Amino acid sequence: MSHILEVTDLRKTYADGFEAVKGISFGVKKGEVFGILGPNGAGKTTTLEMIEGLRPITAGKATIDGLDVAKNPYAVKERVGIQLQSSAFFPNLKLVELLQLFNDLYAETSDPMELLREVELEEKANAQAKELSGGQRQRFSIATTLVNKPICIFLDEPTTGLDPQARRNLWDLIAAIKQRGTTVILTTHYMEEAQVLCDRIAIMDEGKIIALDTPDNLIQQLLGRGFKPHTKVQAATLEDVFIDLTGKELRD
Amino acid sequence: MAKASSRRSIVALRGLTIASLKMYFRNRTALFFSLFFPVMFIVVFGFIFKNSNATFKVDVTNQAQSALATQFTEALGKIDVLKVKTVATDQASTDLNKGDTDLTLTIPAGFGTSGPQGVAAAPIIAHYNAARPGNGQAAAQIVSQLANNLNNAITKAPQIVTVAATGVKTKNLSYIDFLLPGMVGLSIMQLGIFSVAFGFISYKTTGMLRRLQATPVHPGNFLAAQGSTRLIMTVVQTIILVAIGMLMFNFHLSPVSWPAFLVLALLGSVVFMAFGFAIAGWAKDENQAAPVAQVIQFPMMFLSGTFFPRDSFPPLLERLTGFLPLTYLADGLRHVANDGASLWAVRGDVLGLVVWGIVSAVIAVRLFRWE
Repeated sequence: MSHILEVTDLRKTYADGFEAVKGISFGVKKGEVFGILGPNGAGKTTTLEMIEGLRPITAGKATIDGLDVAKNPYAVKERVGIQLQSSAFFPNLKLVELLQLFNDLYAETSDPMELLREVELEEKANAQAKELSGGQRQRFSIATTLVNKPICIFLDEPTTGLDPQARRNLWDLIAAIKQRGTTVILTTHYMEEAQVLCDRIAIMDEGKIIALDTPDNLIQQLLGRGFKPHTKVQAATLEDVFIDLTGKELRD
Repeated sequence: MAKASSRRSIVALRGLTIASLKMYFRNRTALFFSLFFPVMFIVVFGFIFKNSNATFKVDVTNQAQSALATQFTEALGKIDVLKVKTVATDQASTDLNKGDTDLTLTIPAGFGTSGPQGVAAAPIIAHYNAARPGNGQAAAQIVSQLANNLNNAITKAPQIVTVAATGVKTKNLSYIDFLLPGMVGLSIMQLGIFSVAFGFISYKTTGMLRRLQATPVHPGNFLAAQGSTRLIMTVVQTIILVAIGMLMFNFHLSPVSWPAFLVLALLGSVVFMAFGFAIAGWAKDENQAAPVAQVIQFPMMFLSGTFFPRDSFPPLLERLTGFLPLTYLADGLRHVANDGASLWAVRGDVLGLVVWGIVSAVIAVRLFRWE
């Protein structure tokens, strides 16, 4: 499989001298779900924003579909879909109108209703973004990234702050997007999420990638180093209990 | 494949403008307040001055016995806008003090009497209430115009009265004709500075601007859409205000002057939007923008001759306030409406606005920050 995203020795140093990203390299294969994990302040969002062309690159290089991001930011943005960490939408516009606006921004002609159907928000077509619940907002936000039929979408902490039902619902949506052959690059704090969704993950800390592999391989490597879990591993988690008791249907 | 960038820009600009207009018209509170104050001022002041300003009260004390003095008072009486009352000297000063009259005229004993050198020069003494200079000055001007015409008549022709009467009746303007262009200017300033600055800052702080930057559209398109929305709003607002003035208070704006009036309004809108973008681009949030916007707007509201004429200011202040952008806009609009002036005739105001527009646009570009 060829790499759709290639990052080489990427660095970010802010004006105050702070090194947010200290020379990282990785590649993302076409069609995979790639996760960037790490504690707060590890440099995940800065990395994404440099790759997306939203933040100037201090040194190094990022190419998407063979295009140098720094040299062709507009051409790159035509090909990708970007969901930002905080999703704000213009006030006083209905969801269909917002999607039509995004259509215009990409000079595209996607059907807004079709996009809403994909993210299960058809019945909210005439609602405004502020009337949506957290999970609905995130789903709508993902719909706006699909307007231009991107080859690759970036999701920055898409499930942060959602309840378990909404989170699992979003996992289904991300899996469906992957099914269509769209590459997904996401950041997350949730290890279970990374394990379920991601084909490969990069773990970042203090501006560096400290591990990069499939979730299974990373776990095997850890066990190979003689790791013993603190608690006895159970066949189910507390979240499984919660979902089993409260049901899988969305509450928003 | 990359789409032709010009087509993208047109589609994006159209989409953003339609969206901005929808947002603007659906934001009822903002819509209400952008029209509320100018309309309120026009209605309140329009009613206050509706009757009182149509005529000026003049008390005349005639101490002379000459035929010329009689002719003069008769001529005064024939001027529609003057309500002339012949009174004794004491009565005149009481009326003036109580505000019952706008102007008192004393025709001195020697007025119009012929001496060896012809008609002797004896000045008519005029007093007006300094607390209400507007009416008194206007009345005094009408009277002095009459006097001038009389003087001309004395030296050139015996037909005194008729010449004088036609001389002063050319205009029938009232306070609304002064006020309304100023209020139009004021609403344009508010729309430009406040609505642009605060609208834009909210897009900046909520991250909507950043979301736009994640699309292939240059954010300049968003600025252009915001601008074109405000220009459309300027035309709508101006038409509403003028319509209220015309229907309720007999405001004068000749149909042939409409284009010049709207062109000036649009030019003013561009100038004040540049102010708004300079503030919005510089400020991090609403708290930083509010005092700056107030400091710029508030003095202009009162120093630019929007509510009362600047000629009652001390000469230096009158001179300095003549350079304010709102003064250029209000004066220009007023000349177009009141005198039927063409854009060429008000080129001084147009030039003043253009210079302000360039200066503020340069400042806006310098100060602009996307985040």
